[in-house]
Amino acid sequence: MDKRKHEVESAELSIWFFCGILMLAYGLVLVITGIVELHNPPPNEVLLPWLESLHPTLWWGLVLSAFGGFYSIRFRPGRA
Amino acid sequence: MQVFAALLLITHQLTRLAPVDVLILLLYFALVVFIGFYAKGKANTSEDFFLAGREMTAWIAGLSFVSANLGSLELMGWAGAAYQYGILAAHWYWIGAIPAMLFLGIVMMPFYYISKTHSVPGYLHLRFGEAARGLSAISFALMTILMSGVNMFAMAVVMQTVLGWNITFSIWVGAATVALYVMLGGLRSAIINEVLQFVLIWAGAAMIPILGLIEAGGWTNLKAQIAANVGRSDYTHLWSTVGHFSDNPMGVHWTGIVFGLGFVISFGYWTTDFLVVQRVLSAHNLRAAKMAPVIGAAFKMAVPFIVILPGLLALAVLKNPDGSMMHLVPESVAAATGQHSYNEVLPLMLIRYCGPGLLGLGITALVAGFMSGMAGNVSAFSTVWTYDIYGAFINKKASDKHYVAMGRWSTVIGMLVSIGAAYLVMNAASIMDYVQALFSFFIAPLFGTVILGMLWKRATHWGGFLGLLAGTASSIGMFVWVKLNDGALQYIAMSTDAKPMAENLYRALWSWIICVVVTVVVSLMTKPVPTEQLSGLVYGVTPIPDDGATTIWQKPIFWAIVVIVVFFILNLIFW
Repeated sequence: MDKRKHEVESAELSIWFFCGILMLAYGLVLVITGIVELHNPPPNEVLLPWLESLHPTLWWGLVLSAFGGFYSIRFRPGRA
Repeated sequence: MQVFAALLLITHQLTRLAPVDVLILLLYFALVVFIGFYAKGKANTSEDFFLAGREMTAWIAGLSFVSANLGSLELMGWAGAAYQYGILAAHWYWIGAIPAMLFLGIVMMPFYYISKTHSVPGYLHLRFGEAARGLSAISFALMTILMSGVNMFAMAVVMQTVLGWNITFSIWVGAATVALYVMLGGLRSAIINEVLQFVLIWAGAAMIPILGLIEAGGWTNLKAQIAANVGRSDYTHLWSTVGHFSDNPMGVHWTGIVFGLGFVISFGYWTTDFLVVQRVLSAHNLRAAKMAPVIGAAFKMAVPFIVILPGLLALAVLKNPDGSMMHLVPESVAAATGQHSYNEVLPLMLIRYCGPGLLGLGITALVAGFMSGMAGNVSAFSTVWTYDIYGAFINKKASDKHYVAMGRWSTVIGMLVSIGAAYLVMNAASIMDYVQALFSFFIAPLFGTVILGMLWKRATHWGGFLGLLAGTASSIGMFVWVKLNDGALQYIAMSTDAKPMAENLYRALWSWIICVVVTVVVSLMTKPVPTEQLSGLVYGVTPIPDDGATTIWQKPIFWAIVVIVVFFILNLIFW
């Protein structure tokens, strides 16, 4: 059992790696969208001007990129 | 429960997706299908397929355990309930979950785990014989497949109303994707997706309370705004208003909350519903199996932040385009007036704060929640069908390979039946109310049977079976009584001021009491089970193996105490 568990957590793809890679991908998409929106605010931010100055898409994208990047590297395939 | 059925009646499209939102949704579907093919290579034996090889860590089993209950029906329904009833809805996440989850981990899990059962009906078989197993397996299989169909249809309706998607398209794409990844990878595939869904729901929904609190100016200002807008201050108190049925928006009494919800319904669901217990049985050792519900409880306590808080925020900040306060209404009124209903509160708040990208993430989280709900039900169905119906009554001596094949086929067939159930619900929305009620018929009495089986060695086979039967029959009887005569509610809830929400709480409490009384009386009248046959199944005759914890930080009981202390603090803060 120990050997098998070791295989699951190292040589195979970890569940945390799946979480990390998806969050990293979403984070990058949001960062790019957020940068584009700096000069072209979306309709909801036009309706709520206080929201525009917070740049939620950009900041949330950075948070997800950091979270996803950490988990993708920490649980990358083949890591002992 | 009515809030779920009401979701089906929303009739107008709220928003549309930008290309970046579609990209986010497609990325999710691509990863889910990849996970199915990836997990297929590791689902060769029945233990692999039905219990994920029993090799999950405490964190994975714990997140999967809590995620199996974090479907989109629950998210949208309870956010709407928070708008309608205020913070009282948080009881379903705190007292209605935390004590039971900790009890499962610390007291009950050792018996489930060391008996090496594959399912809850399997435990009933070991403890009470074939009749109790048959009754619980057949009722559970029927309910899970219907619930899967309800999830499927609810997803299709939400996609239609929020985005304008075709209902049939949503049903078949959702069903095919879930069938593919569960059939290929079994429980492992379902668990990976549930953990993924848990992370995704937080990523997709957390912006609503964060930005909402910024807009409202913090919790204190939020409370003041809610009190001003609704004209009463009882929407933000958990306990101080439940001294009498008429003192709170929900029409409930603290005895119903504590004994009906906090004890019977909660313990019944979290400790005997195989859909959630199956996740913990996949843990790789006894300590992980005990820790998983404790970890799940810690995360469960945080869920009101993304479910209840958005409902409360909407009472303070949700406005019409002209700047006036938006008033959400019951479904029946919304259908007639064209206003938005309570159950649209989460999508409305999502649209308010989230532009392209963030909106796609929120919608993907909702889709993931619905698909995870289907996968959880269909994987539990597949296990109970294969082990406790097919393997127990139809073909007892097949090879392990045959049972794995049966598991895969029953997944596909279960999904097809679910699609049929989804179309059935489409043509008669009131069926959804009955499906929810049917589920509640079995859970409370089942908890009575299981808990007596584990803690009382004198309980006999006939006692267990007849107690379960009597509890279930009495629950159905009370439901029919109230349906036929509204006045019956005052006798079941013991107050003329009780509202429909109170019925569920007291019906569960009475059916549990009837189950326990019948089990005890019949057991005392029948021949005891020899003690040697109870080893590994009952407290007092089973040596509990050491869970291997060497330091206090490794002990599940230590973390359970930490969680319960935080639980009490939260209840005091929002008293």
